[in-house]
Amino acid sequence: MVNSVIAGLTSGGVYALLGLCVVLTYRLVAVVNFTMAAVGAMGAFVMVSLTDAGVSAWLALPVGVAAGAALSAALGAVLVRWFGGHGQNTKAAVSVALYVALMAVGLRLFGSTTTGAHSFPRPFDAPVFSAGSVVVPQSALVSLAFAVLITAGVGLVLHRTRVGLRLQALSEQPSTAQVVGIAAPRLALVVWVVIGAVTTLVILLVAPRLGGDFSTLGKLINTALAVAMLGAFRSLPLTLAGGLVLGCLEGLSAAVEAVQQYQGVVPFLVIVVLLWWRSRHEVWDTAHSR
Amino acid sequence: MKHARVTAALAAAVLAGASAACSTDGGGEATTGPIKVGSINGVTGLFQTPEVPKAVQAVFDEVNEAGGVNGRELELISVDDAMNPQRSTEAALDLIQTEGVVALVGSSSAVDCGLNRGTYSKHEIVSIPAVGVDPACFTSPNIAPVNPGPFGLLTAMLYYASEELGHDRVCIDYTVLPGSGGGVDAAIQEWSDLTGKELAHQELSVGEGDPTKYLVADKNAGCQAVLYNGPVGPYFAQAKTQGMEDVDFIVGANSYTDANAQAIPPGLHVYAGTEWQPYTDATLPGNERWSKIIEENEIQRTAFSQGAVMSADVFVEVLRTIEGDITRSSVTEAFKSMEPVEYPMVGTPWVFGPGEAHNPVKGSRFVKAEGGAWQVLPEGFIVPGEQN
Repeated sequence: MVNSVIAGLTSGGVYALLGLCVVLTYRLVAVVNFTMAAVGAMGAFVMVSLTDAGVSAWLALPVGVAAGAALSAALGAVLVRWFGGHGQNTKAAVSVALYVALMAVGLRLFGSTTTGAHSFPRPFDAPVFSAGSVVVPQSALVSLAFAVLITAGVGLVLHRTRVGLRLQALSEQPSTAQVVGIAAPRLALVVWVVIGAVTTLVILLVAPRLGGDFSTLGKLINTALAVAMLGAFRSLPLTLAGGLVLGCLEGLSAAVEAVQQYQGVVPFLVIVVLLWWRSRHEVWDTAHSR
Repeated sequence: MKHARVTAALAAAVLAGASAACSTDGGGEATTGPIKVGSINGVTGLFQTPEVPKAVQAVFDEVNEAGGVNGRELELISVDDAMNPQRSTEAALDLIQTEGVVALVGSSSAVDCGLNRGTYSKHEIVSIPAVGVDPACFTSPNIAPVNPGPFGLLTAMLYYASEELGHDRVCIDYTVLPGSGGGVDAAIQEWSDLTGKELAHQELSVGEGDPTKYLVADKNAGCQAVLYNGPVGPYFAQAKTQGMEDVDFIVGANSYTDANAQAIPPGLHVYAGTEWQPYTDATLPGNERWSKIIEENEIQRTAFSQGAVMSADVFVEVLRTIEGDITRSSVTEAFKSMEPVEYPMVGTPWVFGPGEAHNPVKGSRFVKAEGGAWQVLPEGFIVPGEQN
């Protein structure tokens, strides 16, 4: 059982990364972004399509990241320009519609689970150490480090820099931010570009563990949302912890025979209980005024 | 306005009556004109097999050019159900009642058998799917696919692991779809009965997410062979990371694609069980004919198109044995009382027969991933319980 928990822990970093991307978007542009994983998957598949065609990985990587960033910018532009004044529910609904469209296009371009399976580059595959019978590769540590970097870096930018202050203003009250002289639409677009680029990198990093085809990668949004929920869509450190918790729970539920059959459900049941426990002292009107 | 509505309702009623009157011809009793044959295929939607109706049509074209059957041409009516249950149900009723087809040949829908088995029994019509996907395809009185199916294949894969590769510790990491659990258990039991062996470790609820935990469990159980039916990419990437080069992995026919062969990292031992002669080698027995048809008609080379050609071929062969009029009842009668047909593209002779359930094709031929492609292994078909 210990081995299974360790195995689960090694995937905690990649789950955390997915959750962080969702929380990041929500914190910065106030959109629950269902297209997140699909956009990253598009960028990732642009990259592997290039490497398949013989382009060197060093050239293909920036092109893939740029493609993800451009696509994210395009979707961001739709949300900013046409739905800027709408509430979060509308924006989330629009992002669901865009997600469905992106998945359909991606499946057509890059093939299904069996016909579009790909071997993604695994630059960090070398084993670092073994814990029990689990080989811990560099990639597990790199994912974790990247997750910590995002958590700490974004925290610093938001709270310690002028841009961060503007970004916070933008996400809390976009129209007021514009009144006080912040170029809201332009700043929002820049945020979408950055998010697209980061997401593509994240998807490239998690692909060798979580999915080799477009459909599986796009559907990682489910996992990402679950992890983001643990951070209540606000706290980056809690989201990071949430990823590790999800990994552990998966490992544990695969090892305990009594719940093995329900291992897909167990982590989410625990998440629901955790959410309930965390909100036990909240007063509804003040806690959920936003 | 109200008057217009009443008129419309009356017109609809008259039309409905008229179509009911026409459907006396819909019992498949026509004895002149083309022989109508139905087929329900997933052309769009999640399970796409557009090559299947094309390949069946190609065989029918060939027959028609040579004069048809008893001087009558074969007409294929293929309906795309897009894996949509409602469309699938409507398609079956429409084909049987309105079109008056004599049989269903070359269906390849993931939902057809489960939804329409009752309809086929009620209307006493036979279906010979090119690809039997769901369990109901192999447990219905009026359906007999031309592939071994997921359960037959599972028994063959286990048998291959223990008897051909000679492993004592055989394990399984499977995603079991809703409704398939009983079939999987029965397939494992059949293998145990044949070989006297038990699984060293079984995980029948492989889900999405990081596969490392399943692989670590396999390592802990000392598995020498692992059967797996999920997405290939991350599973084998992590198997490589976990250093499982000494394990023989066996995947099912659903994973037997060129893309998957390329996604398997070098150094791992990965085999795939195929349902027909491996399609990647056109020179294998039975494949020449399929390959010729596919090439001449520019149809995609897939395992499913093999099933399509086979189902059309066995249908025509049985049709030619019918003396007298070719109607739905004479076709059903011919299939229920037919002699087994030797067809070299599969491991055992194909027969419909009178039973309540049909899974005539047994056994599998194996390929191995080497250098980014599938290499055909020399043993021929492995049929559980039969000396190779």
